[in-house]
This record gives sequence, C-alpha cells and structure tokens, in this order.
Amino acid sequence: MLLRAPAPPPKDVDLSRTYDAVIVGSGAAGGMAAHVLTSHGLDVLMLEAGKKLDIESELKSMEWPYDHPRRGEKPYTAHALSFNEYTIRQPPYAQGTPWKTMYSYVQGWGGSDYSKNILVNEQDHPYTGTRYAWVRARVLGGKTNIWGRLALRLSDYDFKAKTHDGYGDDWPISYADVAPYYDKVDLYLGIAGHPEGLPYLPDSLFQRSTRLNAAEVRLRQSLARSGRVLTPYRAGVTTDGLKHNKYRSRCFGRGACGRHVGGCDIHAAFDSPTGLIYPALDTGHLTLRTGSIAREVTIDPGTGKARGIAFLDAGTGQALEARGRVVILAASTLESARLMLLSRSAHHPNGVGNSSGHVGHNFCEHVMGPSVYGFYKDLAGKPRTIDDGRPGGFYIARYRNLRERHPSFIRGYGFEGSSGTEMFPSTARLPGFGASYKKAVREMSSAAVHMGGFGEVLARYENAVGLDPEVKDKWGIPVLRFSFQFGDNEKKMAADMADTAREMFEEAGIEILSVDRKVLTEGWSIHELGTARMGADPKTSVVSPFQQSHDVKNLFVVDGSTHVSASCQNPTWTIMALAWRSCDYLADQMRQGNL
Amino acid sequence: MTLSRRDVLRLAAAAAAAPLLPRLVVAEPATALAAGRFFDAAQMALLDELTEMIIPQDEHSGGARAAGVAAYIDGRLAQYDSSIPDLREEQEKWKAGLAIVDAAARESAGASFLAATADQRLAILTRLAAGEDHPKTDGERFFVDLKHWTTFGYYTARIGIHDEMEYKGNTLLAEFSGTDPATLPAIPPPGAPRPGKP
Repeated sequence: MLLRAPAPPPKDVDLSRTYDAVIVGSGAAGGMAAHVLTSHGLDVLMLEAGKKLDIESELKSMEWPYDHPRRGEKPYTAHALSFNEYTIRQPPYAQGTPWKTMYSYVQGWGGSDYSKNILVNEQDHPYTGTRYAWVRARVLGGKTNIWGRLALRLSDYDFKAKTHDGYGDDWPISYADVAPYYDKVDLYLGIAGHPEGLPYLPDSLFQRSTRLNAAEVRLRQSLARSGRVLTPYRAGVTTDGLKHNKYRSRCFGRGACGRHVGGCDIHAAFDSPTGLIYPALDTGHLTLRTGSIAREVTIDPGTGKARGIAFLDAGTGQALEARGRVVILAASTLESARLMLLSRSAHHPNGVGNSSGHVGHNFCEHVMGPSVYGFYKDLAGKPRTIDDGRPGGFYIARYRNLRERHPSFIRGYGFEGSSGTEMFPSTARLPGFGASYKKAVREMSSAAVHMGGFGEVLARYENAVGLDPEVKDKWGIPVLRFSFQFGDNEKKMAADMADTAREMFEEAGIEILSVDRKVLTEGWSIHELGTARMGADPKTSVVSPFQQSHDVKNLFVVDGSTHVSASCQNPTWTIMALAWRSCDYLADQMRQGNL
Repeated sequence: MTLSRRDVLRLAAAAAAAPLLPRLVVAEPATALAAGRFFDAAQMALLDELTEMIIPQDEHSGGARAAGVAAYIDGRLAQYDSSIPDLREEQEKWKAGLAIVDAAARESAGASFLAATADQRLAILTRLAAGEDHPKTDGERFFVDLKHWTTFGYYTARIGIHDEMEYKGNTLLAEFSGTDPATLPAIPPPGAPRPGKP
C-alpha cells in the first residue's frame, strides 16, 4: 500500500515561553532528539534554518527524463563545482562567480533538478580556508532528504580503536552501550539487510533484504574464499513497512534509487521529516519553526547556563530568541561547531562548551575516490534485471587491520558497489562509436560491476574548523574557515583501496575496464564528524558520553560532531542511536530535577 | 523528428530487406534543411548526421536521429544564457566543433562532411574519436563533448530507454529481482577475526 498521509498541521510558535528543550537542526540528529524527547512528554521547539518543502513534488521520483524539460538537469544558469575546481581553486568558491546559483559537486549529477531547492546555494553560504567539498542541505530534514541510505553499525573495533592499534583515543562508550539503541533505531525506522554475523560490522534487526544479481553473487562467492564479505546493501529503508508510521510506505523497488541525487517520494528510505518529525508533531509536544537561522547559544548571565538560541528570521531578518530549559545542538558536525564558537560570552569567552579548546578540532570523515569498473564478460547479452530498483547494490565489509596489521596504514575501509542495469546505462562510458558501440552499451549493461571505497580519516587535533575573522554569510554571521587535509595514512589507505579493488575483481574473473586511483577532494564523502568529540576528560573533550557539554550542563550536542573517530562505516545510523541514548538520559535527568 | 516505435520497426525491416543499400539512405533525415533554435540548417544537418553515426539505427532500435538527439542538443544550447561566460564559450565551442568537422572533410575529401562519401565520413569521425581517452586537439575534444551529449540525449530519450535498453524499471514491483541472500551459503569464518581484542 502506498501511504501518502499529509504532514501534520503546524503548531503556533510561542517565543514568550520557555520550552523544555530547544533543538537546532532537523536532520537525523535533530529529528531523533525531537522524537525521543516528545515521546517522554517534553515540550520541544525545533528550529530549522531552511524551509519545509513540499518534498514529494520536489523529488518526483518516478518522472521519466524525457518528460522533464532538461532531462532532469538543474537550470542551465546554475553551476555545480567540479573536482577540478575544488582542486585548483580556494574557497569561497562562489566568489565573483557569474553563475546565477552555484552548488557543491553533488548538483553536477544527473537528476539534479530534483534537489536544487534542497542543497544550499554556495553564494549565500561561503566558507574559507583549505579546499573542502562541503555539501549542505538547509531544508526541513537536512541531508536525510537525499542521503545514500547505507545504514551501518560501528563495533568495538571502532569504539575501542585506540586499544586496538594505539592511535588517537577510544570512545568513552562501547558497543554494548550503543547496541540497544541501534536496535531501537532499526525497529523504529526500518532497515533492510542480511545478517552475516561479523564482529566488526554488527548485524541490525533487519527487515527483508534486497537481493543480489548474478554478478554480485559471483563476486560474493569469490571474496568468500579469502574471508571477505560482500553483503547486500544495508539500507535505511523499510522493505516490509512500518505499521506505526503512516507517513512512510514500504519500498516497492521502483528504480528511482539509481537516480542521483537520491530522495524517495514514498519515504521508504528514511528521512527525518516523515520518519521522526511528523510523528513527533502528532504527539502534540513538538513545535517547529522553519526559516530560523541560529546564530548563538544565549547564556544566562547569572548562572552561565544556556538560556536558549538567538536566531534570525530568514524572511524578515528579525533577531529573535527561543528559550529552553535545555538547548540541543543538532545542526550538523560543522554547523554545530560553528554555533558553539559563535557563542562567546563572559562565562564562555572561547565559545560555549569550549573550555577544552577542542571545539572545531579532531575533525574527521571518510576518504573516497579509488574505484574499479569492469565486466563479467559471459553475462553480456543476458536478460537485464531491474538492478536500480533497489536502494543499493552491495557493501564489502572492512578487511584491513582486523587481525593482521597492514604495514603502511592503520584502520580500514569498505566498498560500496553495484552491478547491472540502471535507467541510464553505465556502459555509455565505453569507448568508440557506431553500431558496435551501441551494441556493446546494450549487451554489456547486464555484465557491468563497479565499486568504490570509503576509508577512515584519522581524527587529528590539527584538522579543524574555526571562525573566519572577516567573511560573513548572507545573514552577516561569521563563516567557517577550514584547516583540513588528508594525511599520509589516508593516502596510503587510498592506494591500497585501488590495489585491492583491482585484485578482488581479477580474482573474481571480472574483466577490468578502468581502475581509478584518484583521491577525491576532502569533504566528498559528506561524512563530516568529530568537531565536538565526546570523552570522559573535560580537558580533552567537549561533551560527555551522553553528549552533554562538560561546561554547560543544560547544553547537549547530539550530531556527528561528538564522534571520537570516524570508523569507515557510514555514520547516520550511529548518529541516531547516540542521539536516542542521550535524549533518554536527558529526559531522565530532567525528571530527577538535575537539569 | 521523433519516429514512433512502428516507424522504427518499418525502417529496420526495410533496412534488413535491402542489405545492399547503404544505411544512410534508410536513415535520411526528414528535417535536414530545418534550422534549429541555436544552430542554422546546415549545422543542424551536420549535427544530426554526427549523432546518428555515434548511435546509429540498427535492427534492434532507432538511433540518435530517431531519438531527436540533435534537437535535444540544439535546444539545450539555445537555452544557455550567453551572458554567463562559461555558457557562451560552450555555445561557441559547439559551432567551432562542427566547423572543425567540415574543415577536416574539405581537407581529406574535398567536400563538406555531408557531401563526402560514407567511407570518408567514417574515416574523419574515426580520426577525431582516436583521442577519446586523452583528447589533445580541439577536434578530439569536440568529439568527447559530442559523444557525451549524444549518449545523454539518446539514453534519456524514449527510444533509448524503452526500445534500445528495454528498461523495465521505474514501476512498482512486488519483489526485488535477483537472488535472495538467505539462499546463499553463509561465508565461512576462517579469514574473519574473532572479537577477542578489544
């Protein structure tokens, strides 16, 4: 059954009252905070900088390219930054541009007309410093509207990575602390996958898995000989449906998933609005204010505690304040750090929650780029299956630095990949022209396999963001200045990705067309993490194991900024599990009168 | 410009029935003399022929001509705002690219590209395509652009998606296609580490 329940009606915002909690941001972290706190009966105000879009009419997931005036492409007056531009130019990238709008690289993909109102215009949102491909979505639900859906758990190989290899810091929590919350996220939001029993990539409570096509089965069997695991894409998608959520349909394998940028107009893929925020609104405890540009955590001058959020109305520019007994930052790894740094006061001269000096530091993410593309020649000309009618193809779990130590780098990487036919054939990249080219595109499309790596970028203190002393955004708020670069470990890891990708394809009997060894620009993975890391020691960390500011007890930071290390797994599911755990704690503390 | 599926089948049948006729006769452009919104009539005819040479009609389906690829490229360039330097350069590049093709034809065949023989045309396009991986000359770079927009225009068109690729997706499905992983043998653990440490 296709579910198309309308969004719940808005509730009037009352800025004269003090809410139990004010949340900044409406993505995975903010949505989860709203869900958990309202389920505890707390009255919550959520501030979102962007608009609430009529997302179904934005995404038009099933529109054929030929029914679109530009075959799905964004307006021709808009420009998406290319790898080359990120490489040779310095931010702010939109400075002096003749383009009407400028977007991050994501908008260079086909289908970008459907995300043109979701992603930010770089002209309004500059940043400075080292090169960085920063992808931002200022809209209700943030990047969850278009995320890649790969939903993975971390394990103690990640939470206790320092114990394992001596580098960096362990998290102050372990898998046992988070596992019950991963379970809750799985059950509340739905996740498709196949259990493999891997200690380094724990299984979720899976709904019906997607399937593997012929090429993927063969690659899985080949890899199994060396103990490597190719598993169907673990997708944050409900394949069996969710009886408790009237806003989301189950997945019908329609095939818009292969269309970049993503997005799912029946909300089988998780997004924060339909998965978390609308149900929270239905409790009657959530008030939502969009078009609210947070610029500072306000401080009670008497106590030094957080009083609320100073924000600008995006429409009128009016300066306003929302008050809460508790303030929760969930604005994204980099925006939450920016907000803390912007919040300087007599009590917190370094920025709120920043007595350690670690806000903005230990910035980490995933390195990507190395990839391989090839063919199972004997599958050429075989009947084509609907391979993009799945939320994803496959994932190859990490295999480096688990038992053996790699001589040249620490930590690990995994591969995302897929095989077979998409609406736009990947085989169009084949060389040549004419009848033989056309036939090859057609026949080889059932035989194509490709995959690319995602590797852990080490958390290093010197990789950081800070405030630019001069440059301001459209609203006059100081912007971030990046000081972030991949190091030696990332470069060696990326080289190993390319080498092993080739080896795995060769061993599997896949004829290789191309191996790409290029490392993509910092930021490309859209997995920024770690600028307000958690820890037990207030001198070296920003928040507690429950994401509570060490300095300001009624300030919580519940997004990816609190991650101690990046691991190589995609972070969204962990962000939500941790936010759930912390908000349970918060509600409990509030009940006990400690907040 | 777009042919129906039935037209394509009829043309394909005619092509099959007349194997001695050069294919160009079968796929003669119906609108060879019409000017586009961006290109003039001669440029349109040349572009139409080049796109059809890249993705020709065959016994399986219509080609770039039937899919209206030249009109797609022309419409795209016509929509470009020439006050934006990159877009103006792009427009100029396309006109220059077509001129390079004609100049190559006059040099090697002593005639315009369209007036050259099929073999001569093929030889010219083959030369331009030779540098596809690492284009060095303007002509080779033009071929890369030409092929890029031809493939994009073709495989996003009805003929490309439905007739040529026989794409069956973008519809509601009861079940994913492929093999249920539960039916596959579990992966044996020898290479997998045990969770001892940490």
